[in-house]
Amino acid sequence: MSEALPLSGLIVLDISSFIAAPAAAAALADFGADVIKIEPPGEGDPHRNSYRNASYPQSDKNFPWQLDGRLKRSIALDLKNEDARPVLERLIGRADVMIVNFPPPARERLQLRWEDVERLNPRLVYCSLTGYGETGPDRDRPGFDVSAYFGRSGILDAARYEDGPPGLSLPAQGDRATAMTLVAAILLGLRQRDRTGKGCWVGTSLYANGVWANGTSAAGALVGAKLPPRQAPDRPRNALTNLYRTKDDRLLQLLMVRDDRLWEAFCAAIERPDLRADPRFATRAERRAHPLELVRELMLVFAARTYAEWERTFAGTGIPFGVIGRLADVVEDEQAEHAGIFAATANPDVPRTVNNPIRLGFAKPRTAGPPPTVGQHGEEILRELSYGEADIQALRKRGALG
Amino acid sequence: MSEPGLPLAGLRVLDISSFIAAPAAAVVLGDWGADVIKVEGPEGDPNRRIMLDSSNYPKGEVNYPWHMDSRNKRSLVLDLKNPKARAALDRLIAVSDVLICNFPPPVRDKLKLAYEDVKPVNPKLIYASLTGYGETGPDRDRPGFDVTAYFARSGILDAQRYEGGPPGVPVPAQGDRATAMTLVSAILMALIHRLKTGEGSWVGTSLLGNGLWSGGVIAQAALVGAYLPHRPPPDRPRSALGNIYRTSDDRWLQLTIVREDKMWPGVCKTIGRPDLVDDPRFAEIEERRNRSAELAAILREAFASCAYEHWRQALAAHGITFGVISRPQDVPDDEQARACGAVVDTAIPDMPHTLANPIKLGFAEQRIANPAPALGQHSDQILTEAGLSSEEIASLRKSGAVR
Repeated sequence: MSEALPLSGLIVLDISSFIAAPAAAAALADFGADVIKIEPPGEGDPHRNSYRNASYPQSDKNFPWQLDGRLKRSIALDLKNEDARPVLERLIGRADVMIVNFPPPARERLQLRWEDVERLNPRLVYCSLTGYGETGPDRDRPGFDVSAYFGRSGILDAARYEDGPPGLSLPAQGDRATAMTLVAAILLGLRQRDRTGKGCWVGTSLYANGVWANGTSAAGALVGAKLPPRQAPDRPRNALTNLYRTKDDRLLQLLMVRDDRLWEAFCAAIERPDLRADPRFATRAERRAHPLELVRELMLVFAARTYAEWERTFAGTGIPFGVIGRLADVVEDEQAEHAGIFAATANPDVPRTVNNPIRLGFAKPRTAGPPPTVGQHGEEILRELSYGEADIQALRKRGALG
Repeated sequence: MSEPGLPLAGLRVLDISSFIAAPAAAVVLGDWGADVIKVEGPEGDPNRRIMLDSSNYPKGEVNYPWHMDSRNKRSLVLDLKNPKARAALDRLIAVSDVLICNFPPPVRDKLKLAYEDVKPVNPKLIYASLTGYGETGPDRDRPGFDVTAYFARSGILDAQRYEGGPPGVPVPAQGDRATAMTLVSAILMALIHRLKTGEGSWVGTSLLGNGLWSGGVIAQAALVGAYLPHRPPPDRPRSALGNIYRTSDDRWLQLTIVREDKMWPGVCKTIGRPDLVDDPRFAEIEERRNRSAELAAILREAFASCAYEHWRQALAAHGITFGVISRPQDVPDDEQARACGAVVDTAIPDMPHTLANPIKLGFAEQRIANPAPALGQHSDQILTEAGLSSEEIASLRKSGAVR
C-alpha cells in the first residue's frame, strides 16, 4: 500500500454490514489503510444487494457497493463455524483496528465483544457502532438510519413545514454522516495507542449522531425552547431567509442572516431603492415585523429574472444565497470538480464516485478499483497469515471459508 | 484549559472561525482535552447572537447554542485588521498546534491568514480550513452556509421533497454539525502525519463536499445516471400500510408493515374497523395497492381519532410494527438518550444538560461542559501564556488591537 498516505501500514478488519460502519472503513482505506472485509460466505454483506432496494434509485450498476466496498479486500468466513474462529483470531492478532456493528446479543454469541478480543491483541483499537448505544433499554434493538438517526432523534419531526407531514431522509444519509464520527473515534483511539502502547474500545451510535446533527434543536429542547414550525415559502417568518422561485422555475434560497449589514446592498442589487426608503422595512425589527408584505414584494422581484441572472446580480455583494440544486446538475457542477467531491475510479462499470470529503495537503485519497466479490481475497489473506495450501483447502471443505 | 489523561491533552487549538461547523469541530477537540482558544473580533462571533437573529431557532432564556458551540473554550479578542494585533497573533500561532479557519478565501488573503501566510510562523502547525464550496473554482469565494452549500447545492433538499411539494427543510445547523466530524477527522489525520514526519500541514473540507458525502447514495446513483423518484405524499402513497399518519395530538406514526398478508386483520381490528377484514376492495395485497389512496383515507381518518399514546399501545398489542417519529422535545426525557451518552450533565448552572459529542472512548470521558466564555474573557491570560509582557498587553489594549 502507498507509503505517503497517513494510514498506510494500518490493517483494519471490517466485520460490519450495510453502510455506516463499512463507510468508515472505506474512508480509512481512501487514506491508505489495508481494509479486510470479513463477510459471510455466499451472499456476503447484504449491502451488496442494496441497489435492488425499492427505496434506492434504480440502476443495473451496483453503485452503492462501489461506494462502500471500495479499496477493500474480501475474505468469506462463516463466523458460526468453529473452524473459522482460529482464522479470525489470527486476523485479529495482527490487526490495528477492528470495526463491528453487530447488535450486542450477536456480538456476545459470536464472542466478538471487546472483552472477548482484547486478550488476543492488546494493541487493538476496537470500534463499535450500535443503533442506540451500548447500554439502556434499547441497546439490543437493531438500529437503522431512518429509525435511529432520523426518527428517534427528532430530525424528521422538526424538518417539516407547518401542518405538513414529517420530513424525508435520503437513503443512508445519516449512516454516511455517522461514518465520519467513527473515523474520528478510531483516529483518537490510534493516537491513544501510539502514546500508551495499549489498545482501546471506541464507538458511537446512530442515535447519538442524529441527536448531534439535530444539536441546535435538541440543546434548545434541553432548556425548554421549542423549534417553531417552518412556514411555507409564501408566509415565512423572515422574508430574507426564504425560498423564491425564479423566472426559469428554479428555487433560490436567500439566506441573508446579516441583514443588519446587507439590507442596503441588497436593495441596490435588486434595484429597489423604494424598499430601502420604505419605513415598513427600515430596520431589522421592522423587516421582521412585516415579513408577509416583504415576501410579496420579493416574490415578484425574484420571479422577474432567471437564476443565472441572479448569480450575476449578486456576484461580489456578499449576499448569501444559493440554488436548490438538482442532482442532475450537481454531477456536472464545475465547482464540485474543484472541491474534489467526485473522483474517477478504475472501475469501468462505475467510472466516477463520491470522494472522501477529507482533504489533506500532503496526500490524496487513493483511486478505487472495482469493489471485491465475496471472498475474492480469501486465499491471499490466509497466505499472509502463513496458512498453507492444505490448510486453506481444509477450511473450505469444512465450510469455514467461502 | 487542557486536561491531562485525555487523548488531546496538551494540544493548543486556535479557533479563528465563526458560526457553527468549524467552531463545533473545535468543541469536539476541546471535549477530548485540547486547550481551545477562540479568537474573535471586537464584535464577537455572530453565533453569540444567532438564537435571537435567526427566526428559525428555538428561543430560550439561556443562550444554549452559544454554550453548545463554545463550551470549554477561552476567548481572546483581537482586532485582526489592526497591524499590532497581527504580531500578537503570530506569537500565539508560534506556540499552537492547530489553527481552524473558516473565513472565505478573499478575507483570508486580506488578513494574511492563508496557510502560506502562517506556515513560516510555525512549520509544525496544522492548518484546518473549512469553506462552503472548496478552495478553488468559480464559487470558492462565495460564503457558504449549511442550508445553501450542504443541503441545497448538493441536491439533498430537492430529493427530500414529496411529489409536487416544496423542497425539504433541514433543521438548524444539521449539516454543520455533521461536517464538524469530518473536520475533526482531517485534523487527526494531520496529527498522525506530524507524528510520522515532524511536519505540519494543510487539511480541510467543504460544506458542499460533506453534503454530497452524506447524500452519497443518491449522488453516486446520479453518477451512473439513476435518480430517486420523489416520494408520493401521504394521501396517495404507494402502499397505505407503509405510510405515515397523523394522530389526534399532532404526532405522526410510521407504519412499516412488511408481512401485510399476516398483519392485515390486526390492522383492521386495531383501528376499530373489523368490517374491513373481509371487504373485497382490500382483500389481497394487490387490491390494497391498487386502492392505496382509498385505503389511506380510511386509515387517516381512523388514526386522527385518537392520541399517539393510544395508538402506540394498540399497535403494539396487535404486534404491528411502526416507526417512532420523535419530537425534539422528546429527546431530553428519553432514557436511551442518556444511556447512549447523547445527553450529559454540564457545569453550567442555567443549562444543566447538554449534548455530548457522539464519539465514545473506552479510556476517557469527555470533559464536562463549562459555560461558554464572555467576549474577551481570557484575553490577558492567553497573551501572557504566549509570552507577552503586561506592558505589551497594555499597549495592545490601548491601540484597540486587543480587547
